[in-house]
Parts: sequence; C-alpha cells; structure tokens
Amino acid sequence: MLDINDLTVRYGKEEPILKHFNLSMKKGEIISIVGESGSGKTTVIRAVLGALPGTGKIVDGDILFRNQSLTQKSKEEWRELRGTKMSMIFQDCQATLDPIRKIGKQYVEYIRTHSRMPRPEAWKMAVDMLVKMRLPEGENIMNSYPHQLSGGMRQRVGIAMAMTFQPELLLADEPTSALDVTTQAQIVRQMAELRDDYDTGIIIVTHNLGVASYLGDQLIVMKNGRIVDQGKRDDVIDHPASEYTKTLLAAVPEMEGKRFV
Amino acid sequence: MFDQSDIILKADHIVKQFPASKGRTLTACNDVSLEVYQGKTLGIVGESGCGKSTFARMLIQLDRPTEGAFHYRGKDIVNLSGKEKWLNRKNMQMVFQDPQATFNPKMKIIDILTEPLVNYGLLNRRHKEEKARELLHMVELPAEFSDRFPHNMSGGQRQRISIARALSLEPEILVCDEATSALDVSIQQNIIELLVKLQKEKNISIVFICHDIALVQSFSHQVAVMYLGHVVEVLPGSEVGTGTVHPYTQALLGALFSVHMDQGKKIDSIEGEVPSPLKLPKGCPFLNRCGFCMDRCIQEKPGIREVAPGHQVACHITTV
Repeated sequence: MLDINDLTVRYGKEEPILKHFNLSMKKGEIISIVGESGSGKTTVIRAVLGALPGTGKIVDGDILFRNQSLTQKSKEEWRELRGTKMSMIFQDCQATLDPIRKIGKQYVEYIRTHSRMPRPEAWKMAVDMLVKMRLPEGENIMNSYPHQLSGGMRQRVGIAMAMTFQPELLLADEPTSALDVTTQAQIVRQMAELRDDYDTGIIIVTHNLGVASYLGDQLIVMKNGRIVDQGKRDDVIDHPASEYTKTLLAAVPEMEGKRFV
Repeated sequence: MFDQSDIILKADHIVKQFPASKGRTLTACNDVSLEVYQGKTLGIVGESGCGKSTFARMLIQLDRPTEGAFHYRGKDIVNLSGKEKWLNRKNMQMVFQDPQATFNPKMKIIDILTEPLVNYGLLNRRHKEEKARELLHMVELPAEFSDRFPHNMSGGQRQRISIARALSLEPEILVCDEATSALDVSIQQNIIELLVKLQKEKNISIVFICHDIALVQSFSHQVAVMYLGHVVEVLPGSEVGTGTVHPYTQALLGALFSVHMDQGKKIDSIEGEVPSPLKLPKGCPFLNRCGFCMDRCIQEKPGIREVAPGHQVACHITTV
C-alpha cells in the first residue's frame, strides 16, 4: 500500500536530516519507528503527509501510496488524500484544535471540508465516531472547549477525527508521549483495535520502545537520519543488527531488568 | 534494611491546599507521611496531578505546607526564620526536569557551578577554576566545559551540570524532580548510573520523583506510590516487581510496555481517569477506577497501615 524508496529530506541548505529511507508497508500493517530526538523519525511521516515544515524539501527518492507517486502530485491532489485516505494524529491535540471554538464546530467543519454533507448529518457522524472511540458522552464532548477535556480525552477526539473517513493509512507522531501511563495504555490498546476493526495501516513514531514493540509488526530504528535496524518486530528485538539498537534495548528500564542498588 | 536511627528527614502528615475559584479548595497533598533514610533513595511515583512535585517543593521549602511538619534530623524546618531557612538549604538541594530553565543562559559553566559556594562564602574567587574542574570531574565531564555556555551542551550534559551544582554544597539530601524525563533512554540510564555512584561515594539521600515505576524501582531503596494527593503504598524497591498490594500500584505495573512482551497479551489497564482534586471523594480516592471497590471503600477512607516490615498500604483489601 505504501512504499518509500530511498527518501532523502533536507531543510534549507543544511545536511539532509533524513537519508536514504526505505519502507514497504502492506494494508493493515503497523510499523513502529523508534529513535532518539533528532533522529529524523518525525520527518518521515511529515514527508508522507506532504507537510514538511518551513524549508523542508524532498531532494531525492519517492513515496508511492496505492501505487501512485505522491511526490509527483500537485498540492491539491495531495490535499484531497489528506484527511480521507490518510490522516494523522499528533502528540497533543491541544495544539491542533482551536482553543476558542467548541469541539463540535471544529469537527463538523473538518467533515464538511472533505465531503459535501449537510451540517446535521455531519454532526451526527461526528458524535457516532466519538462514541466508537470510547467517548460515550459524544454530545457533551461536541459542546465542550478543548481545554475542558483531559489529555486522554483530547487524544481520543484526535483519533476520532483522524478515523472519520476510515483512512487506509494513519500516521501517528508520538501519540502517547504527553499522556500518563494508565492513559497511555488505554490509547495503545485503542490503536491496536483500529487495525483489527478497520484494517487501518498505522505508522507510529515514538521514543517509547515498549509501545513500539508491542504494536509494531515491523520495527525501524533510526539514528542521525539513517535506518540502523529494520525488519520484523521479533527479529529486531531478539537479534538487533546494530550496536546502537543493542544499547537502546539495554537502556530501557524494565521490571525484570537490571537493578542498580 | 531500614534503621529508625537512620531517618534523616521525616514528613509528618503533610497537607497542602491551594485556594481555587468559587471558594473551593484544591488539595494537592493529603496527609502525606514519608521518611527519608541516610544514604538511601526514596522514589516517589504517580501520574500528573498526584501531588508529587508539590511535595518536593515543600520538602525543600519552596512552599509551606498547610498542615503537618517536616523534621530534618529531628528539627522542625517548616517554621524556620528566613536566615535559618537559607542556611538549611545547604543541606538539601534540588535537580529539576529542565536544567536549561534553571541556568542563567548568559553565565558560563564555571560561574554556574561555583555560584552556590560563593553565595555561602565557602569559596574564594581565586579558587573557582580549580573547584569547577573538580566538580566537572565528579560528573564525568571534561574540564574544558568550564568555559562553555549552557546552550552549547546537550541535554544530558546540562543535567550533569545541574547535579554537580546541586552537590557542590555537599548536601545530605538531593531532591530530583523528573530529572531524567526529558532525556533519551540511553542518556537517562547514564544519569541514573551517575547518581547511584555519587550516592555510594558520598552517602547522600536521594528523593527521586518520577512517573515511570519501572525506572524508579530499578534504583530506589524505598518506593512510594501517590494517587490524588495520597500516598497509597510504600514498599522496598526490590519488592515492587513481586510484592505490591494496592490495586493502583498494580494498575501502574499493568500499564507498562516491555520490549519483550508478547504482542498477543492483553493490556490490563484501568479505565477512566483521575478525579479532580477539587472534589475529593469521601471514601477511598481510587474508588471510581478500582476493580475491588466495596461498600466500605465508599464510606470510609482507608488509612495507611503497615502490612510487612517496610511495606505500608492504604487499602481496605488488606484488612479483609
């Protein structure tokens, strides 16, 4: 469904931030990308979405989505895909929602941007989606401002919005990093259900190796803009190819892990 | 393992309330009693809003508790005069989550490191360079760093500078509030190893506040779990893996993702969210998310009681 070939991205005239990135993804597959800050992992999904910030530019390589090259597409064609065939969830939806408008108004606007639908129907569709995403009081949520919701609820609103048109590809940038551990567990479980219920392919970028390893069918480890390990989840975890991955795996605090005192 | 005579700091029924709008009060810490032992680490875990940072701020006297007392070596430190408070700060120092925010960006590392000593008149300006070099060596950084500015360093290096500065006064207690949360995992491990090494060398007590129970238990002698302003369980760090009793502690453990865990394993996490600290439930603070909730839990708040040596739990389960 998605193929990334030899992708290189640079910002301005600087050294490329992402070098020769390759990835191949089937429908309904989950790929986890892990790496420390500055490793270029977020750049990958921003490039797929066509939303590289500022001076970011794809200088080499290609992205094929449903066998069509995304880099050849015009801005309008790319925009049509975004929000319907592919969508994104962010670290904290607080930053993507307008703080002075109610959720309902924003959600309905989002739906109507992508499909010609009368307002009442769009409203109903939004409420249904919220309920499906485990926000049982959908109507209440629609009438709330973003700041009135907790971090976990806001993240669910973000997931609901992203899933409205049942995209084939969901891009998730650190979706649980701003959440508490018990809420993180709830959201991770929900993401696993999205694949099971809607057959959505997910690329999740995270620095939490535990979450990446739990969700991913494939695992990609990045460092300084390059892939240092890539493969089936079990292969990477049990037989990491690079020293870097080994160090990273050893550094993750675990209950059965090393004790210092 | 813990000897009563080794208690260096004692928090005695600490309550902290903040006034909120419409005449309500927000209870950030509710009856927190904890003990810090000489040369040992007390880890405090909990989710955001559980009152762990408020507790740390009171511990180093940045805030005043509404009720209760802190005893440092048997002496009450809440009601000290300004001068005495200032002198007492020498004994307790703090490391924050974001060192960048605690450094003056226009000061060089040499001045950042030696400022506390100069403030207390413990260092002659002529010996600053030597002292800075010694402190950098202690945290395993090269001596050339003394001429750098904080923005020329990585997050991990800056956190080492914070630790060096905090330890320059040779305090007995080091309080770390999420000191490794902003760092990458491999750097986080290095900082923990450094703290553990320095603790052994200098016999300092560490209070380490963190949201990651797997990390905290790996180097804490004692772990306290907080929920909604209450301490719900205190137990030796080495027993966190096997001996927890409180349903909330178990939920925190159940929400951990291990690298090697089976992908088919169901995640057992609790549903719902933490209630608002503006309206605390009458009974147990955890009742709306607990799978074992009984009538008694709704009626009566469980007090914290000892279930084994060094292991205290606030839950009615322990009494049935």
